[in-house]
Amino acid sequence: MVHRSGDRERCGTGIEGLDTVLYGGIPRSNTVLLTGSCGTGKTSLALEFLIHGALNGENSLFVSVTENSEKMLANIIPYNFFEESLVKSGKLVLVDLPVMYERLGMTKAELTMEEIDLLVAAIASLVRELGTKRLVIDSITSVCYKLKTSEKIRDFILKLSKALSDVDCTSILVSEMSAQASSYSMFGVEEAISDGIVLMANMERRGDLLRTLQVIKMRGTMHSRAKYVLDLTPEGVLLAPLLKGGSAGT
Amino acid sequence: MDLTSIGIKALDEHLGGGVLKGSTLLVMGNPGSGTEFFAKQFASTGEEAVTYFTSTERDEDVLNVMREYGWKTDISIVNIGSKYYESVLAKKLEISRFRQEGIHLSDIRRFEEKDMHKEENFLTYLSYEISKLDPPFRVVINSLDFFLENYDSAEVLMAMRTIKAHTQHSESVTLMTMLKGVHESRIQSSIEDLADVIFELDREKEGHEYRKYVMVQKVRNRPVMVGIIPCAFDETGIKPR
Repeated sequence: MVHRSGDRERCGTGIEGLDTVLYGGIPRSNTVLLTGSCGTGKTSLALEFLIHGALNGENSLFVSVTENSEKMLANIIPYNFFEESLVKSGKLVLVDLPVMYERLGMTKAELTMEEIDLLVAAIASLVRELGTKRLVIDSITSVCYKLKTSEKIRDFILKLSKALSDVDCTSILVSEMSAQASSYSMFGVEEAISDGIVLMANMERRGDLLRTLQVIKMRGTMHSRAKYVLDLTPEGVLLAPLLKGGSAGT
Repeated sequence: MDLTSIGIKALDEHLGGGVLKGSTLLVMGNPGSGTEFFAKQFASTGEEAVTYFTSTERDEDVLNVMREYGWKTDISIVNIGSKYYESVLAKKLEISRFRQEGIHLSDIRRFEEKDMHKEENFLTYLSYEISKLDPPFRVVINSLDFFLENYDSAEVLMAMRTIKAHTQHSESVTLMTMLKGVHESRIQSSIEDLADVIFELDREKEGHEYRKYVMVQKVRNRPVMVGIIPCAFDETGIKPR
């Protein structure tokens, strides 16, 4: 791993290529928007970030919004670096946000401002209880659908980021966007208030659909803004520089 | 004519022996006017099998009052209030606890069996329970206020019309209680319109006492029977004064 700008402690993603791009990892306690259209590998990358954290002894929490967390777990078991003991020991915890909605009586289609505060407080109290150092919410877009207005989305993400950074938790908010979007998120608000944006996309090249990754913004560190090609393998995410100039590839 | 007793002698006499079988009755009054008491006296009489739906009292409260007055108590009580408490209020209490204290991992480990239950619609439940009764039946709904507070008024009216039609076709009798002046006047009028017979319990201050009245406000197709009957509440129930 490369450690260069030593001003802020880093939370290494464990994905070698990405840590290089970020000069050592995500600045600790940052809230990063991991955004991209479907099938670009957002969830895989986010889970890998958690598993590497857990392997390093950092308590990691995955908050699943759309998918059932048990199904989620079944998907990550094939990874070579995954160890089931992480889940048993509570180093890696997966929870379902819909269950929290249910417990908090937030079953209506739209949350009120008061309920947003309660939801942030509930997530924060869970993070404190578990001593979570790495958190993923997959996806924040699904939460935003329950918030509806950009004011509420802004309010929610700001308060959530604040609450998480107060307890030194580094977070990835997975965000969905359409392939032809002009902004980096579905509602256009999410991107403006996060500490970092990592954009994942599909790119067609010579009849092949490549996955790409680009760090658009990251507060607290220098970073490359180049586009990288991403490969999802049983060993995890591999990053390689995108060869420019229309090379034939291999 | 095929009549059935109201259980209050003075009123039966006033109405020429009782109300027509198939009638839906409404008892209205201000809080404390005795509508629930009226309902219990009504439930203690008649040849029909009695089903008493309550949203406010415990079963034993209903039975204790009836025993106290020496009325027969072989009625079946359907306690919507306690069902409501179990499924809705208990849930609300739980929610407020989570909202106040936050959520622990153990609270959300998995969906519990009970989470799968949809919130019950008690209006549907009421209609369904009544539809299952063997006619002729004598039904008490104490009170409509519960339903009007918890459900859309159009839905309540629809359910009451269904119950009324069922009561009519099965030559049974249904009595509903409702507080006066609590609901929108449009809703109150619609309920009044639906009822075949309306009693209103009223009182008037005279010196240091209340003078009480049962006002027979409406008797469908027999306007001549509308009138005011002075009455008293004693150890046997509601009596003429």
